[in-house]
Amino acid sequence: MVSPHGVQLATHLISSFYGDLCSKVCECLLRRGTLTLAQIIRFTELSRENVINCLRVLIHQNCVQAFAIQQEGAFGEAPRIITQYMALFDNMIHKMRAPKFMQIVSEELGKDCLGIFQGLIQHGRLSINQIIDRNEQTAGSADVHVVRESFNRLLIARFIERCPAPEPFLAPPADGETPAKKRGAKSAKIGEERQTTEQRALAAAAPMDSMRFLMEMDDPSEEKSEECTNSVTVGEKRKQDVLKSDEDALDADKKKEVLWRVNFEELVRRLRHKACVSYVKMRINDEAAIVLSAMLELSRHSETRQKAENSAYLSINAIYDEVIKKEGGLGMDFERIRASLEQLGCQCLETGVDENYSIDIKGIIESAQTEEVESVVLRRYGREAYRIFRLLSKAGRFLESDKISDTTFVEKKDTIKILYKLWKDDYLHMEKVMTSGAKQSLFLLWRVNKEPLREHVLDEMYHAALNLRLRIAHEQDKGKEILQLPREKLVGELEKRYKLLGKVRVILESSLMNLDEAIMLFHDF
Amino acid sequence: MSRRPVNPSLKRKRPETDSPGLVDAERAILNSIKGKKDLGIWARDIKQETKLTDHVVNKSLKSLLAKKLIKEVVNIQNKGKKHYMAVEFEPSKEISGGEWYVDGNLDKELINVLKQLCFRYLRTQKVATLEGVYNELKKNRVVTFDISNQQVSEILNSMVLDNDLIEVKSTGLGDYHSIPIGTVCYRIASAAGVAKGPRMGAFASIPCGACPRISLCTPNGVISPGTCVYYTKWLSIDF
Repeated sequence: MVSPHGVQLATHLISSFYGDLCSKVCECLLRRGTLTLAQIIRFTELSRENVINCLRVLIHQNCVQAFAIQQEGAFGEAPRIITQYMALFDNMIHKMRAPKFMQIVSEELGKDCLGIFQGLIQHGRLSINQIIDRNEQTAGSADVHVVRESFNRLLIARFIERCPAPEPFLAPPADGETPAKKRGAKSAKIGEERQTTEQRALAAAAPMDSMRFLMEMDDPSEEKSEECTNSVTVGEKRKQDVLKSDEDALDADKKKEVLWRVNFEELVRRLRHKACVSYVKMRINDEAAIVLSAMLELSRHSETRQKAENSAYLSINAIYDEVIKKEGGLGMDFERIRASLEQLGCQCLETGVDENYSIDIKGIIESAQTEEVESVVLRRYGREAYRIFRLLSKAGRFLESDKISDTTFVEKKDTIKILYKLWKDDYLHMEKVMTSGAKQSLFLLWRVNKEPLREHVLDEMYHAALNLRLRIAHEQDKGKEILQLPREKLVGELEKRYKLLGKVRVILESSLMNLDEAIMLFHDF
Repeated sequence: MSRRPVNPSLKRKRPETDSPGLVDAERAILNSIKGKKDLGIWARDIKQETKLTDHVVNKSLKSLLAKKLIKEVVNIQNKGKKHYMAVEFEPSKEISGGEWYVDGNLDKELINVLKQLCFRYLRTQKVATLEGVYNELKKNRVVTFDISNQQVSEILNSMVLDNDLIEVKSTGLGDYHSIPIGTVCYRIASAAGVAKGPRMGAFASIPCGACPRISLCTPNGVISPGTCVYYTKWLSIDF
């Protein structure tokens, strides 16, 4: 389940991008889990038409996925097929990261590709014809071939993909159990069961791997004439289109035109690799970072899962060839590469003449996470707490208060105070042990429970991200008059305030971007 | 062997002559205190063991103290409780808190000085083993007391926890050439990478990361990001 502040942040994002009605539907789905149309209408108390429109926008923006399941009919009725809607939390949060994604594309593929990519970020889903149209409008006159070329490059880099099936049908599970209709009140067991239903739905909706990045060879002349003559922007056009075409069954696919969307999976993978490299650069040294980035580059295409734990085994020769292509890697020889591999803690596998290495990506991510949590402890609770926390987190098991105090050189009384404080804020787990011998005594045992702690910190970070966004809005609101003034009136005091506003905005936004990296570290990587 | 039993009996004889009325009580109390050896005993426990009245116990303790047969010691576990111990014993580790405690207080100054010494040594050596640091401290006689290997190890460990040092295994190459492969060594954390000491994380560098009230903060509540004083302070600093 999504953490409470995660829901708040997602709702806030949706509300600022697509309005309050959509955010209400989103919130309902995020809080209550997967629902049918009727249930959404009941819970949100919106009109049927509003809900349908919101769902349309949200599906179009890849924030909601529909799927059909078979539900047993009551009282001897025949089983019915019902459509359910599930919220895609990650995709909602990705809205906040659009600038980061665009930067990756622009760095790697250049301006033409960025234009197309930007269109997909803005509009959610577009067909190739719509992309060509859009390009014509934004860039003036554009060569169709150039657009198709750029589109292909995006596809080869896997930055974009085919949209998933609009409404995959899930066959009823073998044990005949269908997800409960009334949820919320039901126990967590159902929650678990539903989780798998949602994962199944996503898997069923995803296009086959062979199709996912396959360019269709359709005829451009197929374009509908009404679309060509229409002068409104693509997004609106598409909405009108949908409105006209299907009134009730909003998922009935309208035409056989293939829709494309941004492939967040690949982009998140790039960011994950980037984060690993920059962590290693900071913690070990530049050479190790170069070697790591070469290894990640090489094993990228063989990474099938979203969160690969280890890279594939790579031969030293392949690594060398890639390292010398990198900036600053030209001067490196085998010996130095081996030393760096050693520092990275790579596993070596020697088969005959070849030596192969694999890198523990998960390990790097985990130490980066630990460091992030530790720095929060240091800032919030002080140096002694930092030492205690590090001791417990390194030990990974229960330690007794006195032992903690002795090892960390903190007065016993202070140790207890700090431990209690950390425990109260959910940073530590505590257990009491009573010994019933000749003398009764109470021992307090402490440990760091990594998984719950990670979730706790993540929730706090969502909270902080929401706070930053709200503060940005607040500052903008406060300086509204100044921001609306024409430039030539900004003199003296006003100019100073204008500049200050700009500075504040830069601070807040860059902090938000940095914080978002930390959020990804905990949630997506 | 033969001396010990003689001494107490000699000492015990004297009170007998001074105040014959209290001899039994005092002897019983002294025995119970001595029985605890270097652990000491709490006044209330003496009462329970000897089954004497408060008055008698207090009086006897006072007299024993005056005769310098027993002494008061501070118990680190519970500083409020008065503990007594026979003069011939030194407080045990459980009572005193160990080598780092002086009169029941942690000797922070000593610890800090030792940390600085270790740090200085490691900065010149780049990398060193526990033995190396220990020998250096002994050789230079910077410490007035007899420092043990264990103590040096404790100091180094706490510096690792502080992220001032990092623990590494010798590779036998470069800086490690004089150290056998696989031996645990210490080096200064900032020397290895660009980062110095603990890094400030993205979350910790904004007010929310350090905020003790984050759990009470809501968009339109009493504490809210719009009205947050920490934010105002943060944003008014010149960057």
